[in-house]
Amino acid sequence: MSLMPKRVLHRKQQRGRMKGLASRGNTVSFGEYGLQSQDTAWVTARQLEACRVAATHYLHREGRIYIRVFPDKPITKKPMETRMGTGKGEVEEWVAVVKPGMILFEVAGVDENTAKGAFSRMAAKLPVSCRMVHRRLAARKGA
Amino acid sequence: METLKAKVRTEQGTHKARRLRKTGTIPGVLYGHGEKTVSISMDTHDISLAISRGERLLELDLEGGRSNVLVKKVQYDPFGKDILHVDFTRVDLDELVEVQVPVTLRGTPAGAAEGGVLHQNFAQVKIRCKVKDIPDDIRVSVAEMKVNDRIYMRDMKLPDGSTLLEDKDAILCALSVVAEEIVEPVAGAEVAEVVASAEPEVIGEKKREEAEAAEASEKASEKAEKKAEKKAEKE
Repeated sequence: MSLMPKRVLHRKQQRGRMKGLASRGNTVSFGEYGLQSQDTAWVTARQLEACRVAATHYLHREGRIYIRVFPDKPITKKPMETRMGTGKGEVEEWVAVVKPGMILFEVAGVDENTAKGAFSRMAAKLPVSCRMVHRRLAARKGA
Repeated sequence: METLKAKVRTEQGTHKARRLRKTGTIPGVLYGHGEKTVSISMDTHDISLAISRGERLLELDLEGGRSNVLVKKVQYDPFGKDILHVDFTRVDLDELVEVQVPVTLRGTPAGAAEGGVLHQNFAQVKIRCKVKDIPDDIRVSVAEMKVNDRIYMRDMKLPDGSTLLEDKDAILCALSVVAEEIVEPVAGAEVAEVVASAEPEVIGEKKREEAEAAEASEKASEKAEKKAEKKAEKE
């Protein structure tokens, strides 16, 4: 089942603007490798679920996947062939607002090549261009 | 120990720091030992190279005056590529400092063949040690771990003269078997229920509905009372 909030303050939201870079959620915090967004976009709950399924299938239940974004923004849509007016449409889907630099997924407990394979499969399901990043640890010689 | 050349920086503020970065230098700050805090600038290439090599103890050549410094904090851009600012603190080689040190798990666990997955809860730990004795990393062997085994913080072997500043009873890593997801078939009626409950609860709406229902019931009871009174008057 796709992700969505259990409780919300308002049933519907305005579209909003997506400007600037990610000032939060831009470091690998839980896993060893992360998938970082390079663009701005709305990532839907369905896309996130597709990524999770693809990565789980590829990893054969090895390692651990962390989803770092949550689709908490409701997107409404009017039915087809409807005249304008008569209020806002019904909630169609839930999206996460993704900004450049944001870490979307993290993987732990697998080697680098396996993580790379999982991330490439995830990136194919997303509306943003992505790159793989490593966890930045305290100074380590030869790292 | 690498030597890093730096200059005293007089210009401060966001715009001037940004202008400085465009010229191939990075702003930084030097403090510690009760001495005056000095704003400095250094070559981008030199500091990036030193940090990428994992150097944390450097010899800072500040316009001729040399001193040992520890890299305290590094600020990166939102993409984590470029260094924006570096904090240095003055240190003596025999001084005790608190630093974060990476933990490296070595070997393949024996229980991995039985489907065990290794979970590392701490990628780095905080220790107190002498500046000259700061380890590059702390190595922990996981080769003998079986399924459901755990390694605690207290089991880590630290270099001589180092003290662990973390909870000693915390679990550093564990080897566990990931349970398979059980997907139960959903009957037709249940599907309808799931679809109906696919909308989140709106905070405050329930209370409002309850209040409206209570108000309506109050009005109804008032009407009924009035009717009863009228009937009684007629009789």
